[in-house]
Amino acid sequence: MKKIIITSIALFSLYVNAVDKTFFEQVIIHNVEQSIASAKRISNSIEQGNSKKSQALFTQLVIDWKKVEATYVLGDLDEDFLDTPRYIDIFHGNNEDIKSQLNLIIGTTDDLSYALYKHSHKTINALEYLLFTQDLSNNRVRAMALIMTKSMQKYLTEIKTAYQKYQFKFTKDEQFASAILLNRLVSNTYALKEWRIGNVVGLSKKHKGDADARRGEYVLSQNSATAILSILQAHKQAIDSSEYRDFGDVARKFGAAKEIDKTIGYLNQAIAQVQKIEDKDLVGAKGKALYQASNNLMKSYYLSLMNKLSFVSKVLDADGD
Amino acid sequence: MFPRCLMLMAINPLEYLIDPHKRIYWVFLLSSVLIAAVFLWINPKKRKVNLSKKLWLHPSALLDYGYFIFISIFKVLVIFPILIGAKEVALWVNEFLLTQYGFTRITGFSYPQVMILFTLSLFILSDFSRYWLHRLLHTVPWLWAFHKTHHSAKVLTPLTFYRVHPVESLLFGLRYSLIIGLVSGVFIYGFGAMIGIVDILGVNALAFVFSLVGSNLRHSHIDISFGVFERFLISPKQHQIHHSKHHINVNFGGFLAIWDWAFRSLVLSKSVNKLKFGIQQNEMKYFNRFHQLIFSPFYLLYRNRTK
Repeated sequence: MKKIIITSIALFSLYVNAVDKTFFEQVIIHNVEQSIASAKRISNSIEQGNSKKSQALFTQLVIDWKKVEATYVLGDLDEDFLDTPRYIDIFHGNNEDIKSQLNLIIGTTDDLSYALYKHSHKTINALEYLLFTQDLSNNRVRAMALIMTKSMQKYLTEIKTAYQKYQFKFTKDEQFASAILLNRLVSNTYALKEWRIGNVVGLSKKHKGDADARRGEYVLSQNSATAILSILQAHKQAIDSSEYRDFGDVARKFGAAKEIDKTIGYLNQAIAQVQKIEDKDLVGAKGKALYQASNNLMKSYYLSLMNKLSFVSKVLDADGD
Repeated sequence: MFPRCLMLMAINPLEYLIDPHKRIYWVFLLSSVLIAAVFLWINPKKRKVNLSKKLWLHPSALLDYGYFIFISIFKVLVIFPILIGAKEVALWVNEFLLTQYGFTRITGFSYPQVMILFTLSLFILSDFSRYWLHRLLHTVPWLWAFHKTHHSAKVLTPLTFYRVHPVESLLFGLRYSLIIGLVSGVFIYGFGAMIGIVDILGVNALAFVFSLVGSNLRHSHIDISFGVFERFLISPKQHQIHHSKHHINVNFGGFLAIWDWAFRSLVLSKSVNKLKFGIQQNEMKYFNRFHQLIFSPFYLLYRNRTK
């Protein structure tokens, strides 16, 4: 009987205690606002032609943008925004050689508004290339970098406006909100494990046994480990905060307390590991340990998900007839 | 692993009355009683048998009552702890698909659409696997030895549903874990957390509705038939035909009759008039007592081997 009551309460609680408005404002919206501010700051610095400052500000932009990307649920709230992150970031989503394309553009006198016609030309990856391989004192390079930062600002602002528009949709159907958030966390952990760590350390399916530091996300600026840390911190915001009701609290409500505590444990382990890592360490033993930690994190997310389904209680007697 | 605290909670057979996931949940019993009352009001000739002490206090019925207490405790203490869980199977399937095919998410379906698809898949595949396991229990000689325990009931009561040998319980538990785990693992791989079940009181809505409309009457003497719908849904009468010693290898279906129809084991109510429940006379003597329900299958298997 107690089992039934617990299950019923847990199921009911799922409807009334999901991630809420405060979470939406303090994590989702707040992170986008931080990115917009970052993009503005770097834009001003580029305008001044200050290379060193722009490079330093780029790290902050990476940190802020990765947080937005890690918990990006806008595509689930409105299909029109499914591809927006690709207009800001093309890591692992684009096989073009944008470096040679950007070199060509730098070498011509074509109008930049036409020359930089592709979305990929205006992404954070393109900006990294300019800031860390080109000279900002070159007017054309500076103008190109500005187009990139303005483009990012524009898309980030669109994301913020859309999030504000869909805030009610997110908080109204809380079961749906928990589902899309958990899905995002899981898919993001997979990308973290396979693309950002596994492909570098040589543990992913695609590059098994073939470690290569050049596969890191931000090789030129040496911000790959920073990006990983920022992603993990966004997960922390989503599942382990004492300031608002997050997904961790929701998981506990539907009976996955043990699983979510384990998940938080793995997350903390991964954060502690990546805090000690520099980009050059990603190809070694530290990278392997980080891969394992992120793999554990993904598995435990799936375990939390299983509990949401309450397998034991979903069918009638398993006996035959 | 079945948690110890839940084990102790579930050990009380009376819990079956208040758990919506059980066949004899009080709501399902009540709905069956109401349907039976209407049936007997319309068919007064059938009142005598169905309301008689002879039926409800028949030695076979009394054996069912006692055996139910035993098997409900035995399942919690012995069977559940050794069974692999649906959750473990689902995790394994999901991980296998991730390793083989990489990460993917199927898009283009709304949340409610995925829920309906998942609920239907669970229900249909679960029913399909029940059909086949049930059929194998009849057609594979050593499995039939254990399934005889269930068919040895001379009269049918809702508790006859639980007159199942522990070996059979184990097999059905495995079937459940494998099928539910497989379906869930595939859906989780495709849709992640976007899946859920359309449920009533936490039970698959389809299973709940089918149980509500008289699944307890399958093990009773209320011979309601569904007429032309019997090619799609198993009626109480069809299951009673299955318990008749002369038609024992037909109507294996759980909720749906389409499997019997498709695999040529369907018999409609209208084609059978007289029903005599139980197994062959020469074997009945081995299933008259409590301990025989458990040990006779082993003895009969041993005896047949040494013959």
